[in-house]
Amino acid sequence: MAILEAQSLTKRFGPVHAVNGVSLTVGQGEITGLLGPNGAGKSTTLHMLLGLVTPDSGSVTMFGLDLQRHRTEVLSRVNFSASYLGLPGVLHVREVLNSFARLYALRDVRKRVDDVTELLEIGPLLKRRTGDLSSGQHTRVQLAKALLNDPELLILDEPTAALDPDAGERIRALLVTVARETGKALLITSHNMREVERMCDTIHFLSAGRVVASGSAAGLAEHFGVVDLEEVFLKVAREGVPA
Amino acid sequence: MTAIAFEPHGISARRRRVAGVVYRDLAAMRRSPIRVFEILFWPVIELVVWGYVTLFLQANKVPFVVSMLLGAVLLWQVLHRASNEVSIGFLEDVWSRNLINLHVTPVTPGEYVTGLVLFSLIKIAGGLAVMTTLAYVLYGFGLFSVGIGLVPFVAVLLVLGWALALVAISAVLRFGEGAQVIAWSLVFVFQPIAGVFYPVSVLPEVLQWIAAAVPASHVFEGMRAVLGGAPVPWDTLGLAIALDAGYVAVALWLYSATLRHARAKGRLSRFGE
Repeated sequence: MAILEAQSLTKRFGPVHAVNGVSLTVGQGEITGLLGPNGAGKSTTLHMLLGLVTPDSGSVTMFGLDLQRHRTEVLSRVNFSASYLGLPGVLHVREVLNSFARLYALRDVRKRVDDVTELLEIGPLLKRRTGDLSSGQHTRVQLAKALLNDPELLILDEPTAALDPDAGERIRALLVTVARETGKALLITSHNMREVERMCDTIHFLSAGRVVASGSAAGLAEHFGVVDLEEVFLKVAREGVPA
Repeated sequence: MTAIAFEPHGISARRRRVAGVVYRDLAAMRRSPIRVFEILFWPVIELVVWGYVTLFLQANKVPFVVSMLLGAVLLWQVLHRASNEVSIGFLEDVWSRNLINLHVTPVTPGEYVTGLVLFSLIKIAGGLAVMTTLAYVLYGFGLFSVGIGLVPFVAVLLVLGWALALVAISAVLRFGEGAQVIAWSLVFVFQPIAGVFYPVSVLPEVLQWIAAAVPASHVFEGMRAVLGGAPVPWDTLGLAIALDAGYVAVALWLYSATLRHARAKGRLSRFGE
């Protein structure tokens, strides 16, 4: 069953065609990756899927509901985390989570905060100010925030960008487990090709605002005649869209 | 729909989301002594300075001057704080790069603004309580001597302040963080023409016409009338309330339009950069 369907999304910023006819589908329990060089349109695409940017044309449907017309219902069932976002720096981690639990209208705030605290192993951080956290700790708190409402679709922009290899590996394992065991759909962007290879069922390669190739990591490597996703990335980034 | 959350359009969900905004701001205030300090600092400074000015004028036999100027200082603080507190609540989300996190939650723009307004009420009530107590202790001025008219006077100023805050927020959404100076200064545009510390009649005729369209000018004129012994001018208060409704309608329209524009132009995304 499709959780997310985006059809022919287009966005221009002045003369720049940031996104040009992107269509993609994410199914239940599926982990989908959006790859592409800087400026390819990944973040703009994600932001259109979240309603932060209004597309010039095209549509976004989640859970069978049009995002523009059913914003509150749709966003209740989705969550987002990005390495570049901040949190109110003066608040303690528990206060941040308490606040977001209310913003998602959760019934039992304390229980959900305790649940995600245990899942992300952030118990020792609860009484620390978010402004005092390391970037790795901050990422884990952002992910805890993103799991508070038990989202059916989790959208992650560079989820492990600020984590050391060990923490990154643990977060990847957690995200895969969450997706496989609970049927959550994940849509992620990353510049870590190994991460994408290991996590994603389907990968969409973006270049200059267009999806230039889609498929599994192995399928894409075969399509481009290279050995792995890293080489696919380099080929697309350096040589542009193949014929 | 997950069972862990309330039905998104139900009253329980709306109440909880608004409470989330208020909770966040209350927690931030608790963690930041400077925020508590600034609730009191400027109002107290203004009260002390104007208080002694009025004592000097009173010594020179200017009638009603203590009550009129102190009443003006106290009511001006209501307008000033109503505008600034809501603007600051929004700006803190901008400064902490948290605005995107908020805009991907199911919180509606109306719920967000309601939360900011409720939080501002809490802060204003606290600040006003301290100021009225000080005014009584230091100068023997009881704000409640204004009588029942105090309630609509304060209400009109609160609503006007919130409307101005929405305009300031809209300016930041439209022009970016550089426009935050508007959040601090917009309310002061109204100070000279609202006749806060002097009657509107001393203004040039053109400004008097403009003042007639400012709800606050009717409040301060009304306050002076009441402190001078006249009854509460309910007719001009009615006009002020009608003007307030117009200001709020325009401010809400502006906020909604700039939010749509920010989404269309990708400006909302840039608040995360």
